[in-house]
Amino acid sequence: MSLLELKDATIRFGGLIAVNTVSFAVEEGDLFGLIGPNGAGKTTCFNLITGVYKPTSGKILFKGQEVGGLAPNKIAEKGIARTFQNIRLFSSLSVLDNVVVGGFLRHKTGLLSALGYMPSAIKETEELRQQAMHWLEVMDLTDVAHHQSGDLPYGKQRRLEIARAMATNPDLLLLDEPAAGMNPQESEDLRATVRRLRDEFGRTVLLIEHDMKFVMNLCEKIVVLDHGEEIAQGGPAEVRNNPQVIAAYLGEPV
Amino acid sequence: MASSGRFWLIRLISCLLGIALCFGIQSVAHMLGNTYYERLIILAGLYVTLAVSLNLINGITGQFSIGHAAFYQVGAYAAGFISVHYMTQLHMGGYAWMFLMVVVGGIAAAITGFTVGLPSLRLRGDYLAIVTLGFGEIIRIIVQNSDALGGSYGMKDIPKDYAIWAVWLLAATCIATCRNLLRSAHGLSFLAVREDEVAALAMGVNITRVKVTAFVIGSMFAGAAGALLAMFEGFVSPPMFSMDTSFIILTMVVLGGTGSITGSVIAACFLSYLPEYLRTLQDANHQALMISGASIVAGILSALGSAALLKRMLEHASNLKGRLIATGSSIAVLIVAKLALTPLLTLVKPMAEKQIPAEQLRMVIFALTLIVIMLIRPSGILGRSEFSLDWLKRVFMPNRRMATEL
Amino acid sequence: MHPSYLIVAGLDFTALPQQLVNGLLLGAIYALIALGYTMVYGVLKLINFAHGEVYMLGAYTALFTSWYFGFLPNLNQYPNSSFWILLIMLAGSMIVCAIIGVLIERFAYRPMRNNSRIASLITAIGVSLLFQYGGALFLPNSPPPSVAEKVNPFGGAFSVPIIPADAKLSEVVKATQPDYEQKKKDLEEYLASTGQEEFSSDPQVVAKRDAKQAAEQSYMDAKRKLETSGVKVTIQRGQLTMLLTAIVLMLGLRYLVLKTPAGRAMRAVSLDFDSAALMGINVDRVITWTFVIGSAMAGAGAMMTATFLGTPLTTQYGVQPGVKAFVAAVLGGIGNIPGAALGGILMGVAENLVVWIGFSQYRDAIAFVVLIFILLYRPGGLLGSAKVEKV
Repeated sequence: MSLLELKDATIRFGGLIAVNTVSFAVEEGDLFGLIGPNGAGKTTCFNLITGVYKPTSGKILFKGQEVGGLAPNKIAEKGIARTFQNIRLFSSLSVLDNVVVGGFLRHKTGLLSALGYMPSAIKETEELRQQAMHWLEVMDLTDVAHHQSGDLPYGKQRRLEIARAMATNPDLLLLDEPAAGMNPQESEDLRATVRRLRDEFGRTVLLIEHDMKFVMNLCEKIVVLDHGEEIAQGGPAEVRNNPQVIAAYLGEPV
Repeated sequence: MASSGRFWLIRLISCLLGIALCFGIQSVAHMLGNTYYERLIILAGLYVTLAVSLNLINGITGQFSIGHAAFYQVGAYAAGFISVHYMTQLHMGGYAWMFLMVVVGGIAAAITGFTVGLPSLRLRGDYLAIVTLGFGEIIRIIVQNSDALGGSYGMKDIPKDYAIWAVWLLAATCIATCRNLLRSAHGLSFLAVREDEVAALAMGVNITRVKVTAFVIGSMFAGAAGALLAMFEGFVSPPMFSMDTSFIILTMVVLGGTGSITGSVIAACFLSYLPEYLRTLQDANHQALMISGASIVAGILSALGSAALLKRMLEHASNLKGRLIATGSSIAVLIVAKLALTPLLTLVKPMAEKQIPAEQLRMVIFALTLIVIMLIRPSGILGRSEFSLDWLKRVFMPNRRMATEL
Repeated sequence: MHPSYLIVAGLDFTALPQQLVNGLLLGAIYALIALGYTMVYGVLKLINFAHGEVYMLGAYTALFTSWYFGFLPNLNQYPNSSFWILLIMLAGSMIVCAIIGVLIERFAYRPMRNNSRIASLITAIGVSLLFQYGGALFLPNSPPPSVAEKVNPFGGAFSVPIIPADAKLSEVVKATQPDYEQKKKDLEEYLASTGQEEFSSDPQVVAKRDAKQAAEQSYMDAKRKLETSGVKVTIQRGQLTMLLTAIVLMLGLRYLVLKTPAGRAMRAVSLDFDSAALMGINVDRVITWTFVIGSAMAGAGAMMTATFLGTPLTTQYGVQPGVKAFVAAVLGGIGNIPGAALGGILMGVAENLVVWIGFSQYRDAIAFVVLIFILLYRPGGLLGSAKVEKV
């Protein structure tokens, strides 16, 4: 059973078919890339998987269960976490607090205990804080732990989004253009970090990226979308040399 | 565990201190002697509860609700109705009855809050504001047309009973509840809903539940305050809970800082005293102070003009020095403009002749406060900061290692 | 008697057409005010809370203008009014409101443009309160003044029959009338010839008086039955003028928005503020003109309600109409100009239907109920569309 499987997933907005019978499967432990020219429907796919949109037809299966159309928070509960193309941090909260919100998903004490300042709630809050610090260490953000997250430079904000997503303890991590706006050194560091997330922490990663070097050097499997349809699947070498893929990115040769 | 024992001991002591503070406030009021000061202190306590509970909905959870007086009204009428009809039947009285009524008022208002909170799930920003205002008006009109509740004349003969310590204990409970929320991870989920709903949802926060919970808790405290109001005044009537009351509470939250509990407390005390203060202003002959129309218009124009100027200057100021210069010059402009405009406007005869007693300026001052705060500091005076033991320690004992949470 | 089939379930259907017409007239005013809300929301995405107060000031302007022309309160004799006086009052209200609207935009809303929408809304609330309570300090408020009836030169009313009166009853009236007039003449002649007064106890006078009263009774009775046998709608001439003016203004606005470059600019700004600015449109000027037009419309509405409906003026004059017009704008689709007109009419009719059904004390609440339903089930309004937020 694949960890995530899309079977003919389709979504239409009025007359526009943004994602058209897309099918692919992500196995546990994959470093999977989703690429394609602008407007190909990649983020829309992410939105379908995470419940922001409900598929018009087709199935989305996670660990064998149908998740198409579930509310995003339910899907997060099931073990899918994501970052956003346009960074969405809780800007006036501190860096640490952002990550704690992610960890809160796995909380056990009730609201009443918190309101009553019961020891169980206090203990859990402290545990969540410590777990959050751990993820900040992994993403190399401990030096800014108590800074306001809105004040961070762009690259650190992207890393913070990843730390926050990891705090939800997901089986599948969806990264939407994590390397956007990064310089080559930062990209390389990010590649190493993402690989570490899989190798050391055992998560499966599905990412959208435009930076070809990033994708080709990191992802083991790739699916290519164009105009909402899947035009190629396979390993980096296969995809790189696929004429349809080249045509989609560069246009038809004269 | 030794630390567990210590924890509970500290909690017990702080609770007792809180209760003692409430009785202390009561003693102060009694020392001052007359019922006038008692009334002020009670009203301040009620408004503190109202402002902090509104802040939970608006400032902490980011749901812009401006019909808060409706919950106040529901609690007051529920408690009043049951008191009028059942208190003698049940042979209860005194503090037991007061406690019961507070619970009744709170529950009635919480149910209302739930009903109002449901549509909040789908609406954002200004639309939500209008809907909450609309609910408030619907409730007010229904009550006004309901003869069982006294119609537009109100319900009277509610058995009068009040205790200053009870009012402030409610306020303290409200403050403590919000404070505890903010210190917990649950509170962070509320803040997350305020900051970015889409991201919060993606991180697994049940934003529906958070929003409705905020409305329920906020309205519950407002209703509890309403119950105490009903028993204090002995009567309730629709004009006591008009849209303007909602706007007054909103002004307190806005002034103190949306998101700052401390700010709401201070602003509520200050703004609830303001109307009384205006009433006490007297001129040299110990008559109620009258201000000329020209002076008022000059004051309004100067205030607005210098606030707009300050906003402009703050936008361009980049450091503390720049901000101080901006503030200083704006205050100077305010004073100069007022002094210059007043004689100028006195040339307009109707304005010069018009003499207005100071207490009628109440709502004008509230309106100006809203506008000026929005112009120069929309996050309110305290912004999102809080007074806390940590803050005190940082200020007074800078070398001491920052105390960690329990 | 009323045809009995027209009274069903306690509702008097014979009164329905009149209520519908009243609703239409009221709705025209709501439509004018709603236009201001919808246009401002369209370009600024701001609910102009202070719009109701602009309306209020327009009414006061009309009042003061009428005073200037000599229609002061509590006079024994009033000057003659004319169409021109009305026109000047209308122009005065529209101009004053336009100016106030522009001032509010310039000094309260423009500085807040870069702030959040909530901040702008709170500012708008503050401005609204400032006008209501600041105005109360200076404007005549208690007892509330109203525009003298005599300002309206168009007296009288039209009657439009819907179901014609029963012809047989008309015969009865014709039959009883001469008898009544004869008896009346009889009494008067007798009184004149004997030099007595009507209430003397002379048995002859009493007899003739009784006879006259009996005849009068039959005549009046027949007349009343005739009048109530049909269903008709009465429209005051003044109210008809109101409706026509409102229609003219709205058509003018439609032309402006659809056919002129200024209107195109307005539509561009309301669709995409930043792109319009990038395309070289002077956004500030477009916004100023939006406020000018919207406020002027409200001013026109205010002058007309003050003059033709004679409502007493306080500084709270604009609160209820403001809310109802806002709901009208939302109902029609906020940002959508024909929607505002449609919404206004519907709100006017709805309000009168509530009165007709018998819940007149809830007439003000109906606006809020409509609002809540619309925002819950169709936030885009009747003519609008729902927008999807892109993640």
